[in-house]
Amino acid sequence: MPNRRNAIAMVISAVMTASLALTGCSSGDGDGSSKNGTTTITFWQQKFEDYQQAWFKKQVDAFNAAQTKVKVNLQVVPADTWAQKLKAAQAAGSAPDVQTTNYGNINAAAANGELAELDGLLPASAFDDIKANVKSFVSANGKHYAYPMLVEPSTVLYYRTDLAQAAGLDPKSPPKTWAELITWAQKLTTSKVKGMTIASAAADLGWSSWGLQYNACGHLPVADDWSKANATDACYEQLLQFYKDLYQGGYMPKTPKVGYADGSPYGSGEVAMMAGGSWVVGQLKQTFPAMIAKTAVAPFPSMDGDATKPTATLGGWTLTVDAKSKSKQSAADFVNWLLAGDPSIMTDFFKASGYSKYTVRTSVDQALAGNADATSDPFMKVISDQVVPYGKQEPAYPWDIALAFGTAIESAMKNTASVPDALKKADSQINDVIKKQSLAGTQPQH
Amino acid sequence: MALLESARTGRLPAETVAHGKPRRRGKGRRDNLTAYLMIAPMAVLLGIFVMWPLAYSLYLSTFKISFYKDPQFVGLQFYQYVLESTDFWHSIWIGLYYALIVVPAGILIALFLASFIKTLSKRMAAFMKVTIYLPAVVSTVIASVLFTFMYQDEGVVNWILGLINKAPVAWLNDPDWALPAIAVPGIWLGFGITTLILLAALLDIPESYYESAMLDGAGFLQRLWYVTVPLLRNVLLYLFVTGFTLAIQMLDLPLIMTNGGPTGATSTPNFFIFNSFRDMTPYATSFSLTASLLLFAVLGLISVVIFRLIRSDKAVDG
Amino acid sequence: MSEPLVRKSAKAVLVALITISVMFPLAWMAIAGFKGREEVLRSPFQFFPDMWRWQNYADILRDGQFSRAMIVTFVGAVVFTVLSLVVNSMAAYAFARLEFTGKRFWWVYCIMPMFIPAMAILLTSFVVVTKLGMLNTMAVLIVPGVASAAQMFFLRQYYLNFPVAVEEAAMIDGANRWQIFTRVFLPQSAAPFVVVGIGSYLAYWNAYVWPILTITDPDLTQIMQFLGTFRSERGIDWGLLMAGSTLASLPTVVLLLVFQRYIVSGVRISGIK
Repeated sequence: MPNRRNAIAMVISAVMTASLALTGCSSGDGDGSSKNGTTTITFWQQKFEDYQQAWFKKQVDAFNAAQTKVKVNLQVVPADTWAQKLKAAQAAGSAPDVQTTNYGNINAAAANGELAELDGLLPASAFDDIKANVKSFVSANGKHYAYPMLVEPSTVLYYRTDLAQAAGLDPKSPPKTWAELITWAQKLTTSKVKGMTIASAAADLGWSSWGLQYNACGHLPVADDWSKANATDACYEQLLQFYKDLYQGGYMPKTPKVGYADGSPYGSGEVAMMAGGSWVVGQLKQTFPAMIAKTAVAPFPSMDGDATKPTATLGGWTLTVDAKSKSKQSAADFVNWLLAGDPSIMTDFFKASGYSKYTVRTSVDQALAGNADATSDPFMKVISDQVVPYGKQEPAYPWDIALAFGTAIESAMKNTASVPDALKKADSQINDVIKKQSLAGTQPQH
Repeated sequence: MALLESARTGRLPAETVAHGKPRRRGKGRRDNLTAYLMIAPMAVLLGIFVMWPLAYSLYLSTFKISFYKDPQFVGLQFYQYVLESTDFWHSIWIGLYYALIVVPAGILIALFLASFIKTLSKRMAAFMKVTIYLPAVVSTVIASVLFTFMYQDEGVVNWILGLINKAPVAWLNDPDWALPAIAVPGIWLGFGITTLILLAALLDIPESYYESAMLDGAGFLQRLWYVTVPLLRNVLLYLFVTGFTLAIQMLDLPLIMTNGGPTGATSTPNFFIFNSFRDMTPYATSFSLTASLLLFAVLGLISVVIFRLIRSDKAVDG
Repeated sequence: MSEPLVRKSAKAVLVALITISVMFPLAWMAIAGFKGREEVLRSPFQFFPDMWRWQNYADILRDGQFSRAMIVTFVGAVVFTVLSLVVNSMAAYAFARLEFTGKRFWWVYCIMPMFIPAMAILLTSFVVVTKLGMLNTMAVLIVPGVASAAQMFFLRQYYLNFPVAVEEAAMIDGANRWQIFTRVFLPQSAAPFVVVGIGSYLAYWNAYVWPILTITDPDLTQIMQFLGTFRSERGIDWGLLMAGSTLASLPTVVLLLVFQRYIVSGVRISGIK
């Protein structure tokens, strides 16, 4: 008896585990499936500020309620797992129909055939509404692969007017050159408060310094046709020296608690000035409202004081439709409704952002012009008049190049290499990337 | 792959570990059917959820991966790219360095604590068994944040340095200090389970062994070295092998505390792979996949060495 | 036999020191849950909040998603732990105590997964579970990780330590291998089972990336997925995150309290000195 029972138990346990693997019944994501004439599409939104999630949810609900042809299934995906989740889904052939894509990724994704061409799917008038300088951001080889949602300058100077006053500085005339900025940082540094905060880790420097790379040299550390590196140009030495002076001078916190994109050290009063993206305006308004009255913004200083040189890149989000989507038209209809339709939908978004992001559509600009809230916002005026017009497009080259240059800045800041050596190393790394990834001649053609 | 290769030729590491001591009675006796049924669930599950994906990954690594266009066959080109990458080798070195700090220190602390808990009264021991394990309950994310706070310019650690008149150190931003600094939470998070494992093993050593050693006049350290350590060999092998494989693969601490910096000083292999993976290009996908497969080879080799160093092929005779 | 007072108090001091160094971070986490969103970050370091706010804890406890995530994750973790103990202990016994054809091959086969970095098979295991139709089920969270090389390895090392004599005695009594496993080895496995079982439980409980990849159904949202909603690159709701993490760690602490008493001597049984 015991023998038989044991044998049975063994077989059962073996079979049970094997079968468990197979019994998982899938409820499915319903990608592009049609039921009773309703097409369901999935939409992945990369998680950002809380109000963005709230806004997307509100609008998707409104869209779903307003009609029965298309049902949008919104999923919020955390940024730290975005690449893993998206690539895994692509590998399994279950990528979302619509997704958020930032400007920098459009060129590579289009070249790899991941994005559906939008020209036939959205009305031409939708593209006509996009401001001239942004049009090239979303196109490759003369075709549109994304519909832009917003731009946000990567680098703006925030400073505390009360502390400036106390240090004998004139809050009405913020620093215009890098040298002046260092003087300010020095004067504002006390035993409790550091004068300045700016990115200091390679991964943050890689992208947040693009605007200043343009500012220093008028170009990025790669030749226009992506055939070779340009990182050893003398002008970059000044850029690295500037970062180095800020760090080695002891004017900034040496061990930052959070990344560049998070403005909370400034918000909680640990630093008197901050280089930060325009989005920090939104964070201050939401989380640190007490700081608003004591804060002023200005364009980030230029190397030589020329305020017309770029200091920031214009990053931001677009929506793209997957090339393998089974319901491209429905997906595009949703994008059209949300981003290119009634201007009041987007003005609602910019309002929610505390006017910390900027529209890319002429019609939305006009709608905002009639909005007292928007026109009276002091931060918005400075940023949209003095920063956005000179802002540059984010580079479309692979991240490895940006990271190599970010590492060069970090090495200089932390004294692990001399300025020229750091640039030399970045130069050879960039050339290596160009060679291995066969980049020469693959730069975006608009 | 080294391990597959060794399986086929039947040399490393199987030779050193696979055989139990030949039984005194029933030598040569085989229990094929029972054994196969007992390993079947594990073997089947691993086959479906590890070996199949692994084979698929090996296959994919010979392509420039694209899920939209026809992937381009490139043979072993990406293996060459990874092996040529100084950053990859640097990250392996960082991983080893980190493991060399965390694993021996962790095991030593745990051995000490376990010996200590063993001497406590029942109630105290019960209390300690729970307390000691509590850090593991906190997720790595929270631990990273907390230690980042303690390492701040004006954090607790620098405050203590101030008491002995030492200048503050930028712990997480000084290339020499960053790795040891993130190793501390690494040890803190891991020593709970290590202590419990060692405690369970220590409690198995009959008191009589110690009594006779004491009669021979052995001191605490001698007893530890001549009685405890040899009897813990099987458990120590486990702790070293898993400790090293886990430590070299550390990702969360450098990711949250230092972002791999300063200037790559905490760029562990998995951080390096994770970072290359973040770029959305087909090149990045292939490169990071290949790098992770090569890391697999490195980890396998290291464990073969450990298996050789600590022979643990015997059932201990009572 | 009472210990000398000096030694006793030295022990008490040591216990206190260890407890403080271990508890300090946990206490900080729990207390930070009472702080405001920006207060947690404040520098210089401050242990107690300006004002004790119950808001964060109350908000999370009121959130139906939190309690559902806790329950779903707990059930998954328990099933996962039990299944993995069953599967891995059987294999561990076979490798520690049985002789069979192809043992070397199967040993390498079963131990190798320990050295495979997660990233090496992340994309392809997702493809596999998708092909098996497992997305959005509890099975996708539980089954792929049940067979664990590390756990099997640990139990094998433990079983290697079992005295041969016990096994031989049982065989003389006519027990077969399976009976020896279930009647001799399993009853003596409480301590190692608790140690690795808690490890498995925590591995399941703290899983973050895999649930995000495979679960989109809000009813199956796992606890770390839920806590992840408080974090983003542009600002983290520290107070909520800390309060949520504190609450999420409670079930594990309770389990520890319940099971710690099994970590005691017990393997070397009768017949062995």
